[in-house]
Amino acid sequence: MTIEGTQEYSINMGPQHPSTHGVFRMVVHLDGEVVTKVEPKIGYLHRGLEKMAESRTYTQFIPYTDRLDYLAGPHNSLGYVQAVEKLMEIEVPERAEYLRVIFAELGRIASHLVMIASGSLDISGWTPWSYCFRDRERILDFFEMTAGNRMTPNFVRIGGVSHDVPDEFMPALKSFLEDMPEMMEEYYGIFFGNEIAQSRMKSVGILPKELAENLLITGANLRASGVQYDVRKAEPYSIYDRFDFKIPVLYGCDTYDRHFIRLLEIQESKKIIEQAFRDIPAGPVMAKVPKVIKPPVSKVYHRVENPKGEMGWYIVSNGTTKPARVRIRTGAFVNVQMLDAIVKGWKIQDLVTIFASMDLVLGEVDK
Amino acid sequence: MVSDSLRARVGELAVRVNGEVEESLGELELTVNDRYAVEALTSAKNFADVPCDFLHDLCGMDLEDHLEVVYQLSSLRGPQRLRIIARVERDNPVIDSATPLWKGADFLEREAFDMFGIQFRGHPNLKRIYMWDDFEGHPMRKDYVVESHEQRAVMRVRKEGE
Repeated sequence: MTIEGTQEYSINMGPQHPSTHGVFRMVVHLDGEVVTKVEPKIGYLHRGLEKMAESRTYTQFIPYTDRLDYLAGPHNSLGYVQAVEKLMEIEVPERAEYLRVIFAELGRIASHLVMIASGSLDISGWTPWSYCFRDRERILDFFEMTAGNRMTPNFVRIGGVSHDVPDEFMPALKSFLEDMPEMMEEYYGIFFGNEIAQSRMKSVGILPKELAENLLITGANLRASGVQYDVRKAEPYSIYDRFDFKIPVLYGCDTYDRHFIRLLEIQESKKIIEQAFRDIPAGPVMAKVPKVIKPPVSKVYHRVENPKGEMGWYIVSNGTTKPARVRIRTGAFVNVQMLDAIVKGWKIQDLVTIFASMDLVLGEVDK
Repeated sequence: MVSDSLRARVGELAVRVNGEVEESLGELELTVNDRYAVEALTSAKNFADVPCDFLHDLCGMDLEDHLEVVYQLSSLRGPQRLRIIARVERDNPVIDSATPLWKGADFLEREAFDMFGIQFRGHPNLKRIYMWDDFEGHPMRKDYVVESHEQRAVMRVRKEGE
């Protein structure tokens, strides 16, 4: 008996696999070495956060929000807390707003650094990984010196932030900002300018603009496909309308651009932090909020620009101390869908880079 | 925050699909019955001057006597935002799928099916997404009984052929 051509077969990848960045599992259908289809199987980290929220008070739920995108904790809690503040109509003190923005943007830099680091690691680049993690560690030190926690600081509270930053925070932040241009050059030189990295990533895994919009992709992945859209500009929340920054946009739509746009975003975040650092006023960091958080019967949908995509918080209040429904729309969860759409025709090693370029964090995918 | 042209468009649409318009906290909301949901979504997507052409979120919601499917629409080209709420029956929750309009609604509808048991007619692959395939019940419904710790410790009885 002779077999003509190759036979299609499917293999399982994950959930315990080093290049799936967590407990992501996919069934890969292959024709020889060429990928024909990918079925993402998620839910291994599902903790039922939406269900948990219904049995906890509004304040008790804040620590859980940090654990959604655990690489950029403060931005998640910022979205949730601002949604509750919208319901309660609470005004937040100026200093707290600035601190929130500084922490949110530091979180964004930390998250993008991990993305660049793991992206390079997936194509066997060990050195960029150590550079990125060296600098990310300094950001985590900021979180630790302020809130006592490295990755999930639980810093943002309803009505402000938990407490003011310690005395050593501002000088440390200043020296970090001074070192940043040099860091950016290093990342560029060692990873983005690298010939091997470029040949592995350029024009691999094209996500055209129309497809991205139809698949409801948000965040940096959408901006790497040529759509200049950022909630911080389109619908400014907190005090983002006071800062002067650009929305980077790239038109390559490929894996390289999805990595490179993160570097450009780090630059813009740096600008925001610099301006916030310059303008931050003195004063209280907590508004006068009632002891018991009891919003009136109403509903609100609040969107924030998370490092991984747009995050939406739909909170329905029934007038008690516990929410009737907390819906978390996470960017990474919706972005998973682009994997199957763009991976057809690429080989297994490309699947790994394409997967890395989506920048998923499983805490956010699985909720 | 809500522009007048959007308000006018939604007003026209509400008459056509027999819906109610509400405005609170700067957000416009249109409540319709399940059979008009896709018609409302299609019209909102194609509003002449203020197209709400990006499905930002789709989720289920349990109100004890009926279920809801909540669509949050926005646009990548403007500030317009619209929330469309479709009421569905609790005992037989069936609604038309939004996947022909947005491919990306796929996962969102699978999640709503998993958590609330809402059937989306015309969905290409309506399977559970978070819970495992032989999981019983829909955990986000208000009447779902969360097992006690003791119950959970009892091992699942294996079915024949497993």
